[in-house]
Amino acid sequence: MANTTTTGNTSVASAHVAAKGKSEFVRKRQAAAVKAWLMVVFWRLAIIGAVLGIWEALVRGGAINAFLLGSPSAIAKMAVSMISSGQLMEDAYATVRATVTGFGIGSAIGSLAGLLLWFSRTVSRIIDPFVVALNGVPKIALAPMIIIWFGSGIFSKIVLAAVSTFIVALLSAYQATHQIDDSQVNLMKSFGASKMQIFSKIIVPSSLPWIISAFRINIGLALVSVVGGEFISSDKGLGHMIFVEGNLFNLPAVWVGVFTLMIVAAVLYAGVSMLESRLLPWSEGKSSKSPSV
Amino acid sequence: MLTTSAISVSNVTKSFVNAEGQEIAVLNDITMDIQEREFVSIVGPSGCGKSTIFNIIAGLLQPTSGSITVGGADIKQSTGHVGYMMQRDLLLPWRSILDNVMLGLEVKGIGKKERRDIAMSYLERYHLEAFAGAYPSTLSGGMRQRVALIRTLVTQPDIILLDEPFSALDYQTRLVLEDEILSILRDEGKTGVLITHDIEEAISVSDRIFVMSKRPTYVKKTYDIGLSAHYGSAMKARSDVRFKGFFEDIWSELDIQMGRVG
Repeated sequence: MANTTTTGNTSVASAHVAAKGKSEFVRKRQAAAVKAWLMVVFWRLAIIGAVLGIWEALVRGGAINAFLLGSPSAIAKMAVSMISSGQLMEDAYATVRATVTGFGIGSAIGSLAGLLLWFSRTVSRIIDPFVVALNGVPKIALAPMIIIWFGSGIFSKIVLAAVSTFIVALLSAYQATHQIDDSQVNLMKSFGASKMQIFSKIIVPSSLPWIISAFRINIGLALVSVVGGEFISSDKGLGHMIFVEGNLFNLPAVWVGVFTLMIVAAVLYAGVSMLESRLLPWSEGKSSKSPSV
Repeated sequence: MLTTSAISVSNVTKSFVNAEGQEIAVLNDITMDIQEREFVSIVGPSGCGKSTIFNIIAGLLQPTSGSITVGGADIKQSTGHVGYMMQRDLLLPWRSILDNVMLGLEVKGIGKKERRDIAMSYLERYHLEAFAGAYPSTLSGGMRQRVALIRTLVTQPDIILLDEPFSALDYQTRLVLEDEILSILRDEGKTGVLITHDIEEAISVSDRIFVMSKRPTYVKKTYDIGLSAHYGSAMKARSDVRFKGFFEDIWSELDIQMGRVG
């Protein structure tokens, strides 16, 4: 009954919008927006093209040393050979796997722990200075120890990523539970809600935006820790590859590693953004609707 | 006393301890009786502890001394006997309108299908069923307050506390909503307690008005109004000849301090 009413209304509303969308004015505005966007894309590509072109020209003209800087053509050749040998994919996969797994474990446990601290003011007061101290330590400083304990394989990288994301997740979730509107809690109390009901119906959902924005920070932190760990000791991964090739002065291969890391970072970040819009549908609805009101 | 009182507040005091360790008396011996199905307003200068009274009646705060009985029973803690509506609607942004209205029923452990049916029947009764699937952020302030009232009504409390629910709304919406909410509460047979600083609003909706002193607060004077009950409308009550007289009396009773130095 409820569903039929709402869907009925939405379809009427969207039909109305669609009819409007065909008007000359709207079509012109949309065409102008597309044109402006194409302009932006064109200029971006132009800048990349110009940088690579000048770089290549300077190397060929002998103005800069190809040995110390590499050249776009050598980097491209190296990329093709590394892709066809399968080495690049293998390294990228190792790094992504350690990053995503460590991020997932650290963020999940940290967020949960931060939320649960809401239940006990005493416990949170006791552990507060420890959390602050741990947060202040650059997590990469723990890498030598973690590698000694967990070996030079992927497991130590996962632990490193989990440790560096855990504290940020915990702090954000804990702070989020303190942003809660007391009146909303009182409203729940006026319904006779238990502490558990207040937690599950108010504390958790209203903390979600904070928790998710910590995910955005954490995915970057996890990647930094994994690559850092791979620098120190590992048998594969993009960090390992960059470190080894760097020692061999194979600059084109180092560049391939750096560009691959850029792509990996962008893809991981996009993944977290997708997760955000899935977990917070109401904030998306708000942002897409508010301009028209 | 022949009629039963819905709320009986006797000799209630409330003190807080401030950061310097001094005792601050907020409420000083408050006694009031509110009858069933009566609509009363509590008016007082700002900072007079109106919200403290509100929280004590709602069972969210314990008085320092004195007692409160609601429906004849002593209240020790909030168990859903009182519903309330605040200046901010407090709709949960991550829930649809229907899910917001069902919140109280969910807390009380009512089954999924049943709470859905109850919530939809209320939304239909007040012509909000078209918004059942919408998120609160897409509704206007007046609409959101209507939803907030319905959310309170579905759990069927006998008493509705209203803490300046209209103060964030524009003037026109406020007049319409005062009228509407008053008639909803009358239809549903609820007892209403409105806390407001708006004297005109209090006169137009109330059966009785309690005028409070400044802190430490006590009931300074009680006025019998009954204009809205007589006309059956808060809007019509505003055009009664006695309206202005009530306003002047209550205004002079309020300890309102103007920006005068001295």
